[in-house]
Amino acid sequence: MAKNTSTPNQKTMAANHKVGTAVATGLFAFLCAFIAFPLVCGLLGSFRDGQKVITTGMSLDLHSPVSLQNYRELFAKFAPSGMTDDVILNSQKYFMWYKNSLILTLTTVVLTLLVCYFIAYGLTMYKYKLQGFLFFMVIATMSVPFEILMLPLYQEITTLGIINTNAGVILPGLCAAGTIFFFKQYMTSLPKELLDAGRVDGCTEYGIAVKIMMPITKPAFASQAIMCAMGSWNNMLWPMLVYRDTNKFTLQIGLNTLLTPYGNNYNLLIAGSMFGILPILVIYLIFNRYLVEGMTSGAVKG
Amino acid sequence: MKKKWLTMLLAASMVASMGTSVAFAEEETEGPSAVTTVGPDEGTHFELWSFVDLHNNFYANMVNEWNEANPDKQVQITFSTYPYGEMHNKLMMSLQAGSGAPDICDIEIGQFPNYIGDDCPLYPLTDAMAPYADTMVEARMNVYSKADGTRIGVPTHVGAFVMYWNAAIFEEYGLDYKSVKTWDDYTALGEQLKEASNGEVFLTSVDTGGVDWMSLAMAEYGEDWTGGPDGEPNVQLDSVQKMLTMQQEWLNNGIAMISTDGHTDTDGCRATILDGKIASFPKAMWYMSRFKDYMPDEAGKWDITTCPVFEDGQKCSFGAGGTGTVVTNQCENPELAAEWLTWAKCSEAGQRHIWNDLGFDVCNTAFWSDEEFAYDESNIYNTYFRVKPYEVLNQLAEADAIGTVYTTTISPTINDYMCTTALNEILEDGRDVAEVLQEAQDVVDMEM
Amino acid sequence: MNKAKKLLYSQKIAPYVFVLPFILSLLIFWLYPLVTGITMSFQDVTFGGKAWIGTAHYAKLAGDKFFKIAVLNSVEYMALTLLLMVPIPMLLAVLMESRLTKARGVWKVIMYVPALTSVVISGLLFRLMFSEGVNGQMNVIMAAFGKPAQAWLKSKGTGWCALLLLCVWRWTGVNMLYYVAGLKAIDTSLYESGDIDGANGWQKFRYITIPLLKPTTVYVITISVFAGLSMFLESFMIWNGNSSPKNIGLTIVGYLYKRGIEKNDMGYACAVGVILMVIALAINFAQLLATGTFSLKKKKGE
Repeated sequence: MAKNTSTPNQKTMAANHKVGTAVATGLFAFLCAFIAFPLVCGLLGSFRDGQKVITTGMSLDLHSPVSLQNYRELFAKFAPSGMTDDVILNSQKYFMWYKNSLILTLTTVVLTLLVCYFIAYGLTMYKYKLQGFLFFMVIATMSVPFEILMLPLYQEITTLGIINTNAGVILPGLCAAGTIFFFKQYMTSLPKELLDAGRVDGCTEYGIAVKIMMPITKPAFASQAIMCAMGSWNNMLWPMLVYRDTNKFTLQIGLNTLLTPYGNNYNLLIAGSMFGILPILVIYLIFNRYLVEGMTSGAVKG
Repeated sequence: MKKKWLTMLLAASMVASMGTSVAFAEEETEGPSAVTTVGPDEGTHFELWSFVDLHNNFYANMVNEWNEANPDKQVQITFSTYPYGEMHNKLMMSLQAGSGAPDICDIEIGQFPNYIGDDCPLYPLTDAMAPYADTMVEARMNVYSKADGTRIGVPTHVGAFVMYWNAAIFEEYGLDYKSVKTWDDYTALGEQLKEASNGEVFLTSVDTGGVDWMSLAMAEYGEDWTGGPDGEPNVQLDSVQKMLTMQQEWLNNGIAMISTDGHTDTDGCRATILDGKIASFPKAMWYMSRFKDYMPDEAGKWDITTCPVFEDGQKCSFGAGGTGTVVTNQCENPELAAEWLTWAKCSEAGQRHIWNDLGFDVCNTAFWSDEEFAYDESNIYNTYFRVKPYEVLNQLAEADAIGTVYTTTISPTINDYMCTTALNEILEDGRDVAEVLQEAQDVVDMEM
Repeated sequence: MNKAKKLLYSQKIAPYVFVLPFILSLLIFWLYPLVTGITMSFQDVTFGGKAWIGTAHYAKLAGDKFFKIAVLNSVEYMALTLLLMVPIPMLLAVLMESRLTKARGVWKVIMYVPALTSVVISGLLFRLMFSEGVNGQMNVIMAAFGKPAQAWLKSKGTGWCALLLLCVWRWTGVNMLYYVAGLKAIDTSLYESGDIDGANGWQKFRYITIPLLKPTTVYVITISVFAGLSMFLESFMIWNGNSSPKNIGLTIVGYLYKRGIEKNDMGYACAVGVILMVIALAINFAQLLATGTFSLKKKKGE
């Protein structure tokens, strides 16, 4: 919005504009510095003695020495010379967790997006009796705390025999209400005539959903891919309950096993935490330009 | 155009990073490999959970030694280490669900009250422990028992409460800490230290996030705020009031400080100890391993003695903290599991590993005075401190000075209120001791 | 056979096929555990089994001092986050979309990044920055002003600063993007006609921007209400566990956790969960009524 269009004097206007630009841009620069600050502290901290950072606190301390030691320990698995067995073991574990997290996140994102897309499609593109009620239930599922469902859900997963499997982690969250809601809002704005055109061309109902509608929903897919990957990569409570096998642990569970007073693993913890942000950051940087686009026509339309 | 390149570059780097990490993870690397299952496939299989990686390493050793000695009763165990809170969470859920629980599991003492009721989902270990029971520290076995006396957990260590002294500091100021016998002596020493160091060094640090000091006071007077197995809980005990009033005075007089992050077993407080800000503190024997792990450079500076008492002739220690290992009712072969477990944690072979690898004061008193077992110089703790730790233990044993502090179903409530509220109000805010304890008692009564 | 196939491909059946996964997931992974959870709130749950005890848990809750603390903390946290997380992001979004700000793309990308980090990692970063130790960032700042080190997390005022700062840090960027998306959907001709009527910047903001951003505001409030009320992990990470000095960090879900898991009283914990659900639904319901957004049918019609 231009706030100064009503100013008659062109010169003052230009001057005002310049000051305004400086102030606004400066404000955002300051905000971004504030936002980047903890992450920079963390990043610098990851190059220092983990023990010291955990015991005495973390700050943007530019004087104390930095070294690559933590990262050398983190990657010890790939360059094991001169490392103790414990360090190499920890490094092996870390990359096992990392791999598990990557596989779990990729599977979750792909499955969740597909399933939620079809559900939203069914909720939006047709008129039928249960439609309103089902949509109401989508909203309702969002407002129940997970903790109250936890124990019964755990018992159920055990009975179904999918405890300790990726299926046990993924299935209960597959029909994510937020994602369905988002897709539905996005699709509401798409022209329904495309369906009829598809039918005339001899496409089946399912063919239309896949071949015609899916390609034009791409921005929604992209923005939900970020959200979904974020949720899955950072999720800990539920996977922790489902997995029994140490070899299946995800990165978040693994890092938490390091956060104890038993044994001295803080170097790995702090470097590993920072390195663990990387995949999600990469996904974000790839898809971020779709983020606002997806949001614009999506959830906020109300 | 530029943007497209950037995107492609990022995509490529992501795929590459995923690809390499997957590829490398699959690849058999040289060097050590993480052990999760130990023992031959034909052996009876068990699953064991712990929240301490080192415990699992210890158990793994014990599986190998057991299999060598018992070719007819081979066992194979799969180990998992979980984060502390999550392991107890998961154990409870799986026991409630009736399936999914491990065969054998470590349970931290604070969590034990959840399992000692009539509906106890754990396998009784009284019979399996019988061969060792005579020489085991009675107080420690009682802690891991149901109200009717059935043993359900095997202790790891005594956790005898002792006083750690930074002898180097006292030498620097020419003060004598060895003659301290009572809390009055201790307070007087604090005054001297304050004067000598210009208030730079505190005598000790008091806890707002732990109840060890209170337990010590109760053990000295033979009181117990849980009321023991059959009594009524009562936190308004003389011993507790005396201890808290004394601590308040220390704080007012600048003799003591409040422990960084709440108690001495935190990373923050270890930094305070390393900085030489506090000259002594009482803690369980197992704190020795923290010295070894986190303060290797302090070797040779520290001494260990028994704790001061209020009045001569009182007990001066109790078993603090600890882990009880249990066999769950979901185990298909509980007799063998119990036999292996008690052997692993109570036999001579097991006690050796507990002392040498884990650095704990072992529960089986049969070995305390064994010269070769207790005083071997190859054990790091015998050279790290200015005293051999078992000398202190034997002093305690001779004087029968280790008291019992019970952990009952009300313990979590008392501990929680003390650590979140009462101790903060008394020590941080300086509120009246009797008043705060009355409020604590109200909370406890409501819960009963 | 052919008939069945034809039916399956008909427009009547197709929507049900699309939403089938949702119905299944709703029944298996939501309704069943929810009913079990609510049932458990009327039972004494032990290892031995479950016994009916009627409303005893609720009667006990009514006099439970710590439950009261937990509810007050959660409601206070929710209120404060609403106060912070609605107006600030809205103003920032307006400023961001004004012609004044340069290099918008960069700021947008950076401001979203904190949301990508897990609560576990960001909570750890904030705990270390607010550490009692001399090396913690806040104490480094204090030292620069010649003040002694503080125990930041031990009193409510400063402890909640850390807690709220964590929330602001993580979510300002996200909420701002919601508003940016909302602003993009506003027809620019409205502002032009505002100019013709001689409206100044403030009037345009007050009478055009705010009303037209209402759907976004409602969406943000709805999400924030539930997120605020069910906050747990943030407090858990800041105070390194579920116990904080004088319970300043105790929340409803934290109390649920304490009762259900730490004290093995699942029945009582479920009663806490049910109350949380009721409070959340009541506040959201009232909010949606007050803003006139409630009728779902109307929403679909748009």
